[in-house]
Amino acid sequence: MAAPEVHHLFHHPIADHSFSSDRQTLAVAKDNNIELYSKAGNQFTLKDELKGHDKTVTGVDIAPHSGMIVTCSQDRNAYVWEPSPTGWKPTLVLLRINRAATFVRWSPSEKKFAVGSGARIIAVCYFEEENDWWVSKHLKKPIRSTITTLAWHPNSVLLAAGSTDSHARVFSGFIKGVDDRPEASVWGERLPFNTVCGEYLNDSAGWVHAVSFSPSGDALAFAAHDSSITVVYPSGPEQPPRAMINITTQNLPFTSLIWNGEAEILAAGYDCEPYRFRGGEQGWELVGSVEGKRGAGAAVQEESARNMFRQMDLRGKAKDDTQLTTTHQNTINTIRIYSGSPAAVQQFTTSGVDGRVVIWNA
Amino acid sequence: MANINYRTINVDAYDPESSYNFDLTTLQPASLPAPSTSAESAQIAQQVRQLLRAGDSLGALSSALETAPLAGDEQAKQVHLTTVLEVLQGIRQADASRVLQEMLRQPGGNALADTLMKYIYKGMGSGAGGSASRGMSPQSTGGVDGVSRGFSQIQARNVSEGGSGQAMSVLLSWHEKLVELVGVGGIVRVMSDRRTV
Repeated sequence: MAAPEVHHLFHHPIADHSFSSDRQTLAVAKDNNIELYSKAGNQFTLKDELKGHDKTVTGVDIAPHSGMIVTCSQDRNAYVWEPSPTGWKPTLVLLRINRAATFVRWSPSEKKFAVGSGARIIAVCYFEEENDWWVSKHLKKPIRSTITTLAWHPNSVLLAAGSTDSHARVFSGFIKGVDDRPEASVWGERLPFNTVCGEYLNDSAGWVHAVSFSPSGDALAFAAHDSSITVVYPSGPEQPPRAMINITTQNLPFTSLIWNGEAEILAAGYDCEPYRFRGGEQGWELVGSVEGKRGAGAAVQEESARNMFRQMDLRGKAKDDTQLTTTHQNTINTIRIYSGSPAAVQQFTTSGVDGRVVIWNA
Repeated sequence: MANINYRTINVDAYDPESSYNFDLTTLQPASLPAPSTSAESAQIAQQVRQLLRAGDSLGALSSALETAPLAGDEQAKQVHLTTVLEVLQGIRQADASRVLQEMLRQPGGNALADTLMKYIYKGMGSGAGGSASRGMSPQSTGGVDGVSRGFSQIQARNVSEGGSGQAMSVLLSWHEKLVELVGVGGIVRVMSDRRTV
Protein backbone atom coordinates (compact mmCIF):
# COMPACT_ATOMS: atom_id res chain seq x y z
CA MET A 1 0.00 0.00 0.00
CA ALA A 2 1.32 3.37 -0.97
CA ALA A 3 2.14 5.69 1.85
CA PRO A 4 -0.47 8.30 2.69
CA GLU A 5 0.09 11.80 1.38
CA VAL A 6 0.51 14.17 4.30
CA HIS A 7 -0.03 17.92 4.06
CA HIS A 8 0.84 19.72 7.25
CA LEU A 9 -0.85 23.07 6.68
CA PHE A 10 -0.39 24.82 10.03
CA HIS A 11 -0.29 24.25 13.77
CA HIS A 12 -3.96 24.82 14.39
CA PRO A 13 -6.98 22.60 14.61
CA ILE A 14 -8.89 22.02 11.39
CA ALA A 15 -12.58 21.89 12.20
CA ASP A 16 -13.60 20.77 8.73
CA HIS A 17 -12.12 20.47 5.28
CA SER A 18 -13.42 20.09 1.78
CA PHE A 19 -11.87 19.54 -1.64
CA SER A 20 -13.23 20.90 -4.89
CA SER A 21 -14.29 18.23 -7.38
CA ASP A 22 -11.14 18.72 -9.49
CA ARG A 23 -9.10 18.28 -6.29
CA GLN A 24 -7.09 21.41 -7.04
CA THR A 25 -8.60 23.50 -4.28
CA LEU A 26 -8.75 22.66 -0.64
CA ALA A 27 -10.85 24.64 1.82
CA VAL A 28 -10.11 24.31 5.52
CA ALA A 29 -11.81 25.93 8.47
CA LYS A 30 -9.20 27.61 10.66
CA ASP A 31 -10.40 29.72 13.56
CA ASN A 32 -12.73 32.42 12.24
CA ASN A 33 -11.73 32.08 8.61
CA ILE A 34 -11.74 29.68 5.73
CA GLU A 35 -8.40 29.20 4.05
CA LEU A 36 -8.32 28.16 0.42
CA TYR A 37 -5.29 26.22 -0.69
CA SER A 38 -4.51 25.39 -4.27
CA LYS A 39 -2.40 22.55 -5.46
CA ALA A 40 1.00 23.45 -6.83
CA GLY A 41 3.05 20.41 -7.64
CA ASN A 42 2.85 18.10 -4.68
CA GLN A 43 2.05 20.85 -2.23
CA PHE A 44 -0.88 22.95 -1.23
CA THR A 45 -0.19 26.65 -1.05
CA LEU A 46 -2.38 29.27 0.56
CA LYS A 47 -4.23 31.15 -2.15
CA ASP A 48 -7.13 32.94 -0.56
CA GLU A 49 -8.87 33.58 2.70
CA LEU A 50 -12.59 33.86 3.18
CA LYS A 51 -13.19 36.33 5.99
CA GLY A 52 -16.62 37.14 7.25
CA HIS A 53 -17.41 35.02 10.24
CA ASP A 54 -16.52 36.49 13.59
CA LYS A 55 -16.46 33.30 15.59
CA THR A 56 -14.99 29.85 15.06
CA VAL A 57 -15.99 28.32 11.75
CA THR A 58 -17.45 24.88 12.34
CA GLY A 59 -18.25 23.64 8.87
CA VAL A 60 -17.22 24.12 5.26
CA ASP A 61 -18.42 22.34 2.16
CA ILE A 62 -17.63 22.89 -1.51
CA ALA A 63 -20.39 21.91 -3.92
CA PRO A 64 -18.82 19.53 -6.44
CA HIS A 65 -20.52 20.88 -9.55
CA SER A 66 -21.30 24.55 -8.95
CA GLY A 67 -18.12 25.19 -6.96
CA MET A 68 -20.01 27.29 -4.44
CA ILE A 69 -18.71 27.13 -0.89
CA VAL A 70 -21.00 27.08 2.11
CA THR A 71 -19.64 27.80 5.57
CA CYS A 72 -21.17 27.97 9.01
CA SER A 73 -19.86 29.25 12.29
CA GLN A 74 -20.47 29.64 15.97
CA ASP A 75 -21.50 33.23 15.23
CA ARG A 76 -24.88 31.67 14.22
CA ASN A 77 -24.44 32.55 10.56
CA ALA A 78 -23.88 30.69 7.36
CA TYR A 79 -22.52 32.17 4.14
CA VAL A 80 -22.61 30.95 0.59
CA TRP A 81 -19.47 32.04 -1.24
CA GLU A 82 -19.56 32.41 -4.99
CA PRO A 83 -16.59 33.13 -7.22
CA SER A 84 -16.73 36.50 -8.92
CA PRO A 85 -14.19 38.54 -10.90
CA THR A 86 -13.32 40.49 -7.75
CA GLY A 87 -12.88 37.47 -5.55
CA TRP A 88 -15.24 35.37 -3.51
CA LYS A 89 -18.59 37.01 -2.89
CA PRO A 90 -20.41 35.98 0.30
CA THR A 91 -24.17 35.83 0.62
CA LEU A 92 -25.62 35.69 4.08
CA VAL A 93 -28.09 32.92 4.74
CA LEU A 94 -31.12 33.56 6.90
CA LEU A 95 -30.73 30.74 9.38
CA ARG A 96 -32.93 32.18 12.14
CA ILE A 97 -31.13 30.29 14.91
CA ASN A 98 -30.11 31.63 18.30
CA ARG A 99 -27.26 29.24 19.00
CA ALA A 100 -24.06 28.27 17.23
CA ALA A 101 -24.25 26.59 13.86
CA THR A 102 -22.36 23.34 14.16
CA PHE A 103 -22.32 21.56 10.83
CA VAL A 104 -23.13 22.19 7.19
CA ARG A 105 -23.41 20.02 4.09
CA TRP A 106 -24.68 20.53 0.54
CA SER A 107 -27.32 18.13 -0.66
CA PRO A 108 -26.19 16.00 -3.62
CA SER A 109 -28.49 18.05 -5.88
CA GLU A 110 -26.68 21.20 -4.71
CA LYS A 111 -29.97 23.09 -4.61
CA LYS A 112 -30.13 22.92 -0.84
CA PHE A 113 -27.89 22.61 2.14
CA ALA A 114 -28.55 21.77 5.75
CA VAL A 115 -27.11 23.49 8.80
CA GLY A 116 -27.15 21.86 12.21
CA SER A 117 -27.19 24.02 15.29
CA GLY A 118 -27.10 24.16 19.04
CA ALA A 119 -30.62 25.58 19.02
CA ARG A 120 -32.04 22.07 18.51
CA ILE A 121 -32.82 23.01 14.95
CA ILE A 122 -31.70 21.87 11.55
CA ALA A 123 -32.06 24.67 9.03
CA VAL A 124 -32.68 23.32 5.55
CA CYS A 125 -31.70 26.16 3.25
CA TYR A 126 -32.61 26.79 -0.37
CA PHE A 127 -32.35 29.67 -2.80
CA GLU A 128 -35.45 31.74 -3.34
CA GLU A 129 -35.31 33.31 -6.78
CA GLU A 130 -37.89 36.04 -6.11
CA ASN A 131 -36.02 37.44 -3.15
CA ASP A 132 -32.56 36.61 -4.48
CA TRP A 133 -31.76 35.21 -1.07
CA TRP A 134 -30.98 31.94 0.70
CA VAL A 135 -33.81 31.14 3.08
CA SER A 136 -34.32 28.28 5.48
CA LYS A 137 -36.97 25.98 6.82
CA HIS A 138 -36.53 24.48 10.24
CA LEU A 139 -36.56 20.83 11.22
CA LYS A 140 -37.40 21.01 14.88
CA LYS A 141 -39.26 18.05 16.23
CA PRO A 142 -38.34 15.79 17.94
CA ILE A 143 -34.77 17.08 18.36
CA ARG A 144 -33.96 17.51 22.03
CA SER A 145 -30.40 18.69 21.92
CA THR A 146 -27.60 20.08 19.79
CA ILE A 147 -27.18 18.68 16.31
CA THR A 148 -23.59 17.56 15.89
CA THR A 149 -23.60 16.08 12.44
CA LEU A 150 -25.64 15.72 9.26
CA ALA A 151 -25.61 13.57 6.15
CA TRP A 152 -27.73 13.66 3.01
CA HIS A 153 -29.36 10.69 1.37
CA PRO A 154 -28.42 10.30 -2.32
CA ASN A 155 -31.96 11.41 -3.26
CA SER A 156 -31.34 14.86 -1.71
CA VAL A 157 -34.59 14.69 0.22
CA LEU A 158 -33.79 12.57 3.25
CA LEU A 159 -31.42 13.93 5.82
CA ALA A 160 -29.75 12.04 8.64
CA ALA A 161 -28.82 13.94 11.77
CA GLY A 162 -26.88 12.99 14.87
CA SER A 163 -27.44 14.79 18.10
CA THR A 164 -26.12 15.08 21.62
CA ASP A 165 -29.42 13.63 22.83
CA SER A 166 -27.85 10.35 21.64
CA HIS A 167 -30.31 9.78 18.82
CA ALA A 168 -29.56 9.42 15.16
CA ARG A 169 -32.60 10.48 13.17
CA VAL A 170 -33.67 10.46 9.58
CA PHE A 171 -35.83 13.39 8.46
CA SER A 172 -37.43 14.42 5.26
CA GLY A 173 -36.05 17.73 4.05
CA PHE A 174 -38.44 17.93 1.12
CA ILE A 175 -38.91 21.48 -0.15
CA LYS A 176 -41.81 22.08 -2.51
CA GLY A 177 -40.74 23.66 -5.74
CA VAL A 178 -37.10 22.82 -5.21
CA ASP A 179 -37.12 19.06 -5.00
CA ASP A 180 -38.62 16.49 -7.28
CA ARG A 181 -40.84 13.97 -5.60
CA PRO A 182 -38.53 11.24 -4.34
CA GLU A 183 -39.10 7.63 -5.25
CA ALA A 184 -40.47 5.42 -2.52
CA SER A 185 -37.74 3.72 -0.53
CA VAL A 186 -37.30 1.77 2.66
CA TRP A 187 -37.53 5.07 4.48
CA GLY A 188 -41.06 5.83 3.31
CA GLU A 189 -43.27 6.76 0.39
CA ARG A 190 -44.86 10.09 1.13
CA LEU A 191 -42.30 12.39 2.60
CA PRO A 192 -43.59 15.87 3.42
CA PHE A 193 -41.15 18.20 5.20
CA ASN A 194 -40.19 17.17 8.74
CA THR A 195 -41.41 13.58 8.43
CA VAL A 196 -39.38 11.56 10.91
CA CYS A 197 -38.45 8.41 9.01
CA GLY A 198 -36.36 6.85 11.71
CA GLU A 199 -35.10 7.50 15.20
CA TYR A 200 -32.35 5.30 16.57
CA LEU A 201 -30.67 5.01 19.92
CA ASN A 202 -28.09 2.40 20.71
CA ASP A 203 -27.93 0.62 24.05
CA SER A 204 -25.16 2.53 25.71
CA ALA A 205 -26.50 5.80 24.30
CA GLY A 206 -23.42 7.86 23.67
CA TRP A 207 -23.99 11.16 21.94
CA VAL A 208 -23.68 10.90 18.18
CA HIS A 209 -20.57 12.18 16.40
CA ALA A 210 -21.15 11.09 12.83
CA VAL A 211 -23.87 9.75 10.57
CA SER A 212 -23.75 8.46 7.03
CA PHE A 213 -26.06 6.80 4.53
CA SER A 214 -24.75 3.80 2.64
CA PRO A 215 -24.15 4.41 -1.10
CA SER A 216 -27.57 2.97 -1.97
CA GLY A 217 -29.16 5.03 0.77
CA ASP A 218 -30.86 1.97 2.24
CA ALA A 219 -28.75 1.70 5.37
CA LEU A 220 -27.56 4.21 7.92
CA ALA A 221 -24.41 4.10 10.01
CA PHE A 222 -23.65 6.28 12.98
CA ALA A 223 -20.74 6.61 15.37
CA ALA A 224 -21.30 7.60 18.96
CA HIS A 225 -19.24 8.60 21.96
CA ASP A 226 -19.48 5.09 23.42
CA SER A 227 -16.67 4.03 21.04
CA SER A 228 -19.11 2.14 18.90
CA ILE A 229 -20.58 2.36 15.46
CA THR A 230 -24.12 1.27 14.74
CA VAL A 231 -25.49 0.21 11.37
CA VAL A 232 -29.24 0.32 10.82
CA TYR A 233 -31.07 -1.53 8.06
CA PRO A 234 -34.64 -0.20 7.95
CA SER A 235 -37.40 -2.49 6.78
CA GLY A 236 -40.03 0.05 5.84
CA PRO A 237 -41.95 3.04 7.07
CA GLU A 238 -43.36 2.82 10.59
CA GLN A 239 -41.72 -0.53 11.20
CA PRO A 240 -38.84 -1.48 13.43
CA PRO A 241 -35.59 -1.85 11.51
CA ARG A 242 -34.74 -5.18 9.90
CA ALA A 243 -31.41 -5.20 11.64
CA MET A 244 -29.58 -2.82 13.92
CA ILE A 245 -26.01 -3.85 14.51
CA ASN A 246 -23.89 -2.26 17.17
CA ILE A 247 -20.15 -2.81 17.10
CA THR A 248 -18.43 -1.79 20.30
CA THR A 249 -14.72 -1.30 19.95
CA GLN A 250 -11.72 -1.17 22.25
CA ASN A 251 -10.71 2.21 20.87
CA LEU A 252 -11.51 5.77 21.69
CA PRO A 253 -14.68 7.10 20.03
CA PHE A 254 -14.94 7.80 16.33
CA THR A 255 -15.85 11.31 15.22
CA SER A 256 -16.41 10.80 11.52
CA LEU A 257 -17.23 7.98 9.15
CA ILE A 258 -17.80 7.21 5.47
CA TRP A 259 -19.03 4.17 3.58
CA ASN A 260 -16.93 2.43 0.99
CA GLY A 261 -19.46 0.32 -0.88
CA GLU A 262 -22.22 -1.41 1.04
CA ALA A 263 -19.92 -3.71 2.96
CA GLU A 264 -17.21 -1.44 4.29
CA ILE A 265 -17.09 1.58 6.58
CA LEU A 266 -14.10 3.80 7.26
CA ALA A 267 -14.14 5.65 10.55
CA ALA A 268 -11.69 7.89 12.36
CA GLY A 269 -11.65 9.88 15.54
CA TYR A 270 -9.89 10.29 18.85
CA ASP A 271 -7.47 7.46 18.12
CA CYS A 272 -5.84 9.64 15.46
CA GLU A 273 -5.99 7.04 12.72
CA PRO A 274 -8.66 5.68 10.38
CA TYR A 275 -10.11 2.23 10.97
CA ARG A 276 -11.84 -0.15 8.64
CA PHE A 277 -15.05 -2.06 9.39
CA ARG A 278 -16.45 -4.80 7.19
CA GLY A 279 -19.73 -6.61 7.25
CA GLY A 280 -23.33 -6.66 6.16
CA GLU A 281 -26.78 -7.25 7.50
CA GLN A 282 -25.64 -10.36 9.36
CA GLY A 283 -23.00 -8.54 11.32
CA TRP A 284 -20.12 -6.15 11.24
CA GLU A 285 -16.62 -6.34 12.60
CA LEU A 286 -13.64 -4.11 13.05
CA VAL A 287 -10.95 -5.23 10.62
CA GLY A 288 -8.20 -2.97 11.83
CA SER A 289 -6.38 0.23 11.22
CA VAL A 290 -6.02 1.53 7.67
CA GLU A 291 -2.48 2.53 8.52
CA GLY A 292 -1.51 -1.11 8.80
CA LYS A 293 1.95 -1.91 10.04
CA ARG A 294 3.47 0.82 12.07
CA GLY A 295 7.02 1.89 12.61
CA ALA A 296 9.19 0.44 15.31
CA GLY A 297 7.76 2.89 17.80
CA ALA A 298 4.59 0.90 18.33
CA ALA A 299 6.47 -2.21 19.32
CA VAL A 300 8.18 -0.56 22.24
CA GLN A 301 6.32 -1.44 25.39
CA GLU A 302 5.40 1.31 27.73
CA GLU A 303 8.12 1.68 30.30
CA SER A 304 7.47 1.68 33.98
CA ALA A 305 7.41 5.05 35.65
CA ARG A 306 10.31 4.05 37.85
CA ASN A 307 12.40 3.20 34.84
CA MET A 308 11.51 6.46 33.19
CA PHE A 309 12.58 8.56 36.13
CA ARG A 310 15.77 6.54 36.49
CA GLN A 311 16.63 7.24 32.89
CA MET A 312 15.93 10.90 33.44
CA ASP A 313 18.14 10.85 36.49
CA LEU A 314 21.03 8.99 34.89
CA ARG A 315 21.06 10.55 31.45
CA GLY A 316 19.20 13.73 32.11
CA LYS A 317 16.89 12.90 29.26
CA ALA A 318 13.87 10.73 28.84
CA LYS A 319 12.98 8.83 25.71
CA ASP A 320 11.37 11.20 23.28
CA ASP A 321 7.77 10.08 23.39
CA THR A 322 6.09 13.23 22.19
CA GLN A 323 5.54 11.71 18.77
CA LEU A 324 2.57 9.45 18.13
CA THR A 325 3.14 6.47 15.91
CA THR A 326 0.17 7.44 13.80
CA THR A 327 0.29 9.77 10.81
CA HIS A 328 -2.05 12.22 12.47
CA GLN A 329 -0.68 13.59 15.69
CA ASN A 330 -4.04 14.44 17.18
CA THR A 331 -7.75 13.74 16.93
CA ILE A 332 -9.19 13.40 13.45
CA ASN A 333 -12.25 15.59 12.97
CA THR A 334 -13.37 14.88 9.45
CA ILE A 335 -13.06 12.03 7.01
CA ARG A 336 -14.19 12.54 3.40
CA ILE A 337 -14.10 10.81 0.07
CA TYR A 338 -11.31 12.20 -2.11
CA SER A 339 -11.51 10.16 -5.29
CA GLY A 340 -13.79 7.42 -6.49
CA SER A 341 -17.48 7.21 -5.68
CA PRO A 342 -19.24 6.29 -2.45
CA ALA A 343 -19.74 2.83 -3.92
CA ALA A 344 -16.02 2.38 -4.52
CA VAL A 345 -13.76 4.79 -2.71
CA GLN A 346 -10.25 4.96 -4.13
CA GLN A 347 -8.81 7.62 -1.88
CA PHE A 348 -10.12 9.47 1.13
CA THR A 349 -8.89 12.39 3.18
CA THR A 350 -8.79 13.09 6.89
CA SER A 351 -8.15 16.31 8.75
CA GLY A 352 -7.81 16.95 12.42
CA VAL A 353 -6.70 18.93 15.39
CA ASP A 354 -3.04 18.65 14.40
CA GLY A 355 -3.48 20.86 11.32
CA ARG A 356 -2.76 18.05 8.89
CA VAL A 357 -4.76 16.96 5.87
CA VAL A 358 -3.89 13.42 4.86
CA ILE A 359 -4.83 11.66 1.63
CA TRP A 360 -5.14 7.90 2.09
CA ASN A 361 -5.58 5.02 -0.28
CA ALA A 362 -8.72 3.14 0.66
CA MET B 1 -47.12 38.55 47.40
CA ALA B 2 -44.55 40.63 49.14
CA ASN B 3 -42.93 37.62 50.73
CA ILE B 4 -41.74 35.99 47.55
CA ASN B 5 -38.02 36.19 47.13
CA TYR B 6 -37.71 36.42 43.39
CA ARG B 7 -34.04 35.57 43.49
CA THR B 8 -34.77 32.06 44.67
CA ILE B 9 -37.20 31.22 41.90
CA ASN B 10 -35.74 28.72 39.53
CA VAL B 11 -36.58 30.43 36.28
CA ASP B 12 -35.23 27.53 34.23
CA ALA B 13 -37.99 25.31 35.51
CA TYR B 14 -40.53 27.53 33.75
CA ASP B 15 -38.77 27.44 30.42
CA PRO B 16 -39.79 24.35 28.47
CA GLU B 17 -36.81 24.90 26.17
CA SER B 18 -34.35 24.87 29.05
CA SER B 19 -31.98 21.98 29.52
CA TYR B 20 -33.27 21.88 33.09
CA ASN B 21 -36.41 20.30 31.71
CA PHE B 22 -34.57 17.77 29.58
CA ASP B 23 -36.21 14.42 30.03
CA LEU B 24 -33.34 12.05 30.76
CA THR B 25 -35.49 8.98 30.33
CA THR B 26 -35.44 9.67 26.59
CA LEU B 27 -31.82 8.53 26.68
CA GLN B 28 -32.69 5.10 28.00
CA PRO B 29 -32.78 2.39 25.38
CA ALA B 30 -35.83 0.19 24.95
CA SER B 31 -33.81 -2.83 26.02
CA LEU B 32 -33.61 -1.56 29.58
CA PRO B 33 -34.75 -4.20 32.08
CA ALA B 34 -37.80 -3.64 34.25
CA PRO B 35 -37.33 -1.58 37.42
CA SER B 36 -36.35 -3.64 40.43
CA THR B 37 -36.20 -3.17 44.17
CA SER B 38 -33.62 -3.80 46.83
CA ALA B 39 -35.48 -6.93 47.95
CA GLU B 40 -34.97 -8.48 44.55
CA SER B 41 -31.31 -7.46 44.62
CA ALA B 42 -30.89 -9.14 47.99
CA GLN B 43 -32.44 -12.30 46.60
CA ILE B 44 -30.03 -12.27 43.69
CA ALA B 45 -27.19 -11.73 46.12
CA GLN B 46 -28.12 -14.99 47.82
CA GLN B 47 -27.97 -16.95 44.58
CA VAL B 48 -24.69 -15.35 43.58
CA ARG B 49 -23.15 -16.15 46.95
CA GLN B 50 -24.18 -19.76 46.55
CA LEU B 51 -22.44 -19.94 43.18
CA LEU B 52 -19.36 -18.33 44.64
CA ARG B 53 -19.30 -20.77 47.55
CA ALA B 54 -19.63 -23.66 45.12
CA GLY B 55 -16.45 -22.41 43.46
CA ASP B 56 -18.11 -21.32 40.23
CA SER B 57 -16.31 -17.98 39.86
CA LEU B 58 -17.35 -17.41 36.28
CA GLY B 59 -20.98 -18.27 36.98
CA ALA B 60 -21.09 -16.03 40.02
CA LEU B 61 -19.55 -13.09 38.18
CA SER B 62 -21.67 -13.38 35.06
CA SER B 63 -24.91 -13.90 36.92
CA ALA B 64 -24.14 -10.94 39.15
CA LEU B 65 -23.48 -8.78 36.10
CA GLU B 66 -26.40 -10.09 34.08
CA THR B 67 -28.83 -9.19 36.84
CA ALA B 68 -27.49 -5.69 37.37
CA PRO B 69 -30.46 -3.47 38.36
CA LEU B 70 -29.90 -0.96 35.57
CA ALA B 71 -33.38 0.47 36.06
CA GLY B 72 -33.58 -0.17 39.78
CA ASP B 73 -33.81 2.41 42.51
CA GLU B 74 -30.81 3.72 44.40
CA GLN B 75 -31.14 1.11 47.14
CA ALA B 76 -31.32 -1.80 44.77
CA LYS B 77 -28.21 -0.49 43.10
CA GLN B 78 -26.33 -0.19 46.38
CA VAL B 79 -27.24 -3.73 47.41
CA HIS B 80 -26.14 -5.06 44.07
CA LEU B 81 -22.89 -3.10 44.20
CA THR B 82 -22.09 -4.89 47.45
CA THR B 83 -22.82 -8.22 45.78
CA VAL B 84 -20.54 -7.52 42.83
CA LEU B 85 -17.75 -6.30 45.09
CA GLU B 86 -18.07 -9.45 47.13
CA VAL B 87 -17.72 -11.54 44.01
CA LEU B 88 -14.69 -9.58 42.86
CA GLN B 89 -13.05 -10.03 46.24
CA GLY B 90 -14.04 -13.68 46.32
CA ILE B 91 -12.28 -14.59 43.10
CA ARG B 92 -8.58 -15.23 43.42
CA GLN B 93 -6.43 -12.70 41.57
CA ALA B 94 -4.62 -15.46 39.76
CA ASP B 95 -7.91 -16.57 38.25
CA ALA B 96 -9.14 -13.11 37.31
CA SER B 97 -7.72 -12.98 33.79
CA ARG B 98 -8.99 -16.45 32.94
CA VAL B 99 -12.46 -15.70 34.27
CA LEU B 100 -12.62 -12.48 32.28
CA GLN B 101 -11.48 -14.15 29.10
CA GLU B 102 -14.10 -16.86 29.45
CA MET B 103 -16.75 -14.29 30.22
CA LEU B 104 -15.90 -12.33 27.08
CA ARG B 105 -16.16 -15.46 24.99
CA GLN B 106 -19.78 -15.98 26.06
CA PRO B 107 -22.48 -14.48 23.87
CA GLY B 108 -23.15 -11.01 25.20
CA GLY B 109 -19.84 -11.08 27.03
CA ASN B 110 -18.90 -7.61 25.82
CA ALA B 111 -21.96 -6.12 27.48
CA LEU B 112 -21.08 -7.90 30.72
CA ALA B 113 -17.56 -6.56 30.57
CA ASP B 114 -18.94 -3.04 30.18
CA THR B 115 -21.17 -3.58 33.20
CA LEU B 116 -18.24 -4.88 35.21
CA MET B 117 -16.26 -1.77 34.33
CA LYS B 118 -19.12 0.35 35.65
CA TYR B 119 -19.07 -1.52 38.93
CA ILE B 120 -15.31 -1.16 39.25
CA TYR B 121 -15.61 2.59 38.86
CA LYS B 122 -18.61 2.80 41.13
CA GLY B 123 -16.76 0.73 43.71
CA MET B 124 -13.78 3.05 43.57
CA GLY B 125 -16.04 6.09 43.69
CA SER B 126 -17.86 4.96 46.79
CA GLY B 127 -14.68 4.31 48.70
CA ALA B 128 -14.90 0.58 47.96
CA GLY B 129 -15.40 -1.89 50.77
CA GLY B 130 -18.69 -3.48 51.50
CA SER B 131 -20.30 -0.69 53.48
CA ALA B 132 -22.76 0.89 51.17
CA SER B 133 -23.85 3.95 53.06
CA ARG B 134 -20.58 5.82 52.75
CA GLY B 135 -19.55 8.35 50.14
CA MET B 136 -21.46 9.59 47.13
CA SER B 137 -24.36 11.09 49.01
CA PRO B 138 -25.57 14.10 47.13
CA GLN B 139 -24.25 17.27 48.62
CA SER B 140 -25.94 20.58 48.45
CA THR B 141 -23.63 23.22 47.14
CA GLY B 142 -25.46 26.12 48.62
CA GLY B 143 -24.28 29.55 47.60
CA VAL B 144 -20.75 30.73 48.19
CA ASP B 145 -19.75 28.33 50.92
CA GLY B 146 -20.36 25.50 48.47
CA VAL B 147 -16.77 26.03 47.44
CA SER B 148 -15.46 24.68 50.68
CA ARG B 149 -17.74 21.68 50.64
CA GLY B 150 -17.88 20.96 46.94
CA PHE B 151 -15.10 18.71 45.75
CA SER B 152 -13.05 17.88 48.78
CA GLN B 153 -11.00 14.72 48.64
CA ILE B 154 -9.91 14.71 52.24
CA GLN B 155 -12.75 12.56 53.37
CA ALA B 156 -12.28 10.05 50.61
CA ARG B 157 -8.61 9.68 51.40
CA ASN B 158 -9.29 8.94 55.04
CA VAL B 159 -11.65 6.24 53.98
CA SER B 160 -9.17 4.55 51.69
CA GLU B 161 -6.47 4.50 54.32
CA GLY B 162 -8.74 2.43 56.50
CA GLY B 163 -9.94 -1.07 55.89
CA SER B 164 -11.07 -0.41 52.35
CA GLY B 165 -7.53 0.09 51.08
CA GLN B 166 -7.43 -3.59 50.38
CA ALA B 167 -10.73 -3.50 48.53
CA MET B 168 -9.37 -0.66 46.43
CA SER B 169 -6.33 -2.68 45.44
CA VAL B 170 -8.61 -5.53 44.40
CA LEU B 171 -10.59 -3.16 42.22
CA LEU B 172 -7.46 -1.69 40.69
CA SER B 173 -6.15 -5.09 39.80
CA TRP B 174 -9.47 -6.07 38.20
CA HIS B 175 -9.43 -2.78 36.35
CA GLU B 176 -6.00 -3.48 34.96
CA LYS B 177 -6.96 -6.93 33.76
CA LEU B 178 -10.22 -5.76 32.26
CA VAL B 179 -8.60 -2.88 30.38
CA GLU B 180 -6.13 -5.34 28.87
CA LEU B 181 -9.09 -7.14 27.33
CA VAL B 182 -11.59 -4.42 26.44
CA GLY B 183 -9.25 -1.48 25.88
CA VAL B 184 -10.02 2.14 26.57
CA GLY B 185 -13.36 1.73 24.79
CA GLY B 186 -14.71 0.07 27.92
CA ILE B 187 -13.77 3.08 30.03
CA VAL B 188 -15.32 5.49 27.54
CA ARG B 189 -18.56 3.55 27.71
CA VAL B 190 -18.69 3.85 31.49
CA MET B 191 -18.72 7.60 31.05
CA SER B 192 -21.19 7.81 28.19
CA ASP B 193 -23.65 5.12 29.24
CA ARG B 194 -26.88 6.32 30.82
CA ARG B 195 -27.77 2.91 32.21
CA THR B 196 -26.01 3.42 35.50
CA VAL B 197 -25.37 0.67 37.98
